[in-house]
Amino acid sequence: MPLSEDRLRAILAWVVIVLAGGPVAGAVLLGVLHGDSPCILCWAERTSMVLIALAGLFVIRYGPRPRYLGMAILLGAWGVFMALRHSALHLARDVGQGFSAPILGVHTYIWAWVIHATVLAVIGLLLLFLREVAPADGVRTPSRAGRFAMGLFVVVVGANALQAFASTGPPPFIGQGDPVRLSLDPRHWVWSFEELQPPYISLRGSWTIPVPNPTAADPDPAHGPLAGLPTLAVSRWERIGTPLNGALSGLARDSASGRFLLVADRYGVYLLDSTLARVLHHVVMDPGFSVDLWPLTGAAFLGGDTLAVTSTNKSWALLEPVPRADPAAEWRHFLSTDGQVSEVGLGRFQTVRAHLMYALSLAFDPSAQQLITVSVPNPRHHQLVVSRFARADMVLSSEFEPRLGPGLELAGPNRGLADYVVTGAAVADGRLYAISAAYSTLLVVDLQDRTVRAAYAVPGLLHPVGLATRGSELLVAQADGRIAMLERPRR
Amino acid sequence: MREKPRLRSIVGAMEFLNFLLILWAAWLVWRRPERERLAFRLFVVSCLLMALLFLVGTHGSLVPGVNL
Repeated sequence: MPLSEDRLRAILAWVVIVLAGGPVAGAVLLGVLHGDSPCILCWAERTSMVLIALAGLFVIRYGPRPRYLGMAILLGAWGVFMALRHSALHLARDVGQGFSAPILGVHTYIWAWVIHATVLAVIGLLLLFLREVAPADGVRTPSRAGRFAMGLFVVVVGANALQAFASTGPPPFIGQGDPVRLSLDPRHWVWSFEELQPPYISLRGSWTIPVPNPTAADPDPAHGPLAGLPTLAVSRWERIGTPLNGALSGLARDSASGRFLLVADRYGVYLLDSTLARVLHHVVMDPGFSVDLWPLTGAAFLGGDTLAVTSTNKSWALLEPVPRADPAAEWRHFLSTDGQVSEVGLGRFQTVRAHLMYALSLAFDPSAQQLITVSVPNPRHHQLVVSRFARADMVLSSEFEPRLGPGLELAGPNRGLADYVVTGAAVADGRLYAISAAYSTLLVVDLQDRTVRAAYAVPGLLHPVGLATRGSELLVAQADGRIAMLERPRR
Repeated sequence: MREKPRLRSIVGAMEFLNFLLILWAAWLVWRRPERERLAFRLFVVSCLLMALLFLVGTHGSLVPGVNL
């Protein structure tokens, strides 16, 4: 059924009436009756609805000219983007933690998406059925509904302007991210510039986190953030006695069996015997699909035969050697395998304090049955956070930023433990040993009182990638397959 | 003491002013339809102002804080 221009204008008059009289006028009523105040993003979404209604008024007055229809489609598309961008602020919160009061169980930023998407659908339908006539120039006399739509629009937008004056202020003030409830008492009006901070436009804002590159770190212990550290000398060097397909990136040792677990070549996992000379098992993980494992940097034995590997983005996989793995079932997990390894778990660590920070190390505390990661700093988040996860469910148990113990002093006012880039970690006797690629320093963290008990400069290291314990020794792995032996400090 | 805005370029760009621009445009469409060109210009300026205010409100992050 073709749609005539007159019919289109009559329908649009009602669209304007519904849009202005529904969500836009309703928003003002919510403010007056319940004190509801829009945030700066809500203001933009509400304004966008008003502007779509204004586009409708243009068509009612001047006919369906392409520029009015184009503006309406642009506003609809931009409104969908705004609503989704706004909703994303609340996606990661816990249940019931949406922003402001819900309407029919749905928050306003979701309603903004529904309304803008509906607008686009309505425009599409109207254009679909519009009779193909060349729009004539000149002014049309609006129908009764059209005149009502114009009057209603002016009244509703006027009311919005008044609310905006009270809530956001006259020029040059702008809306707020966290507004206060609407009040007609000027003493309660908050006019601010807080949303002008920071003054730049970025693609991802605080999520612009570069992937860590420990090989760029300064290896000289003398330049580290802790002053006057004692030296821990490398007693000897060993070398992995079997060729690895690529650079070593993580190391662990099983105290019960003496076996070693290595990760290398971005996605390769090697189980070696106690001599570091014979490969017992080897797989190459499939890094994509389901959980992204890019690239592997942490390794740990979780007791028994369970092996844990982690990637830079704090994703993890659990593996177990088996006499004969099901090739069909494991094909999805491994790019290549010796046929005797099974993947038994895959997931991602969720952190709070270490959120938006990568981790290059993994340790296992057998007494607490916890896996431990240590965050590495980035330009936006300069912290060293120890995160502990329960072995039973791999969920975060606790996090802390270690304090400096007695006898340790910072080398300057702007220095801190977050200057270190921990690339290897291991637990022994209730202590977390962490090796930093930056400033080649060993940190000894007391897991009980969350304090750095001691720190040692380890000259001669060049960007270590892993750490393991063997009796009274610490084994520090480097990317080239060499392993430095250190006497494990007693302190 | 009130904080001074750092972005001088968007001084004057705010919600109240934007609604006044929209009201002006709607008034022209309704009562002075012969001023169509001015009304449309006000419409476009208001759209740009709305988009700019939204970008300011997102603290400079164009895309959401989620994994792309």
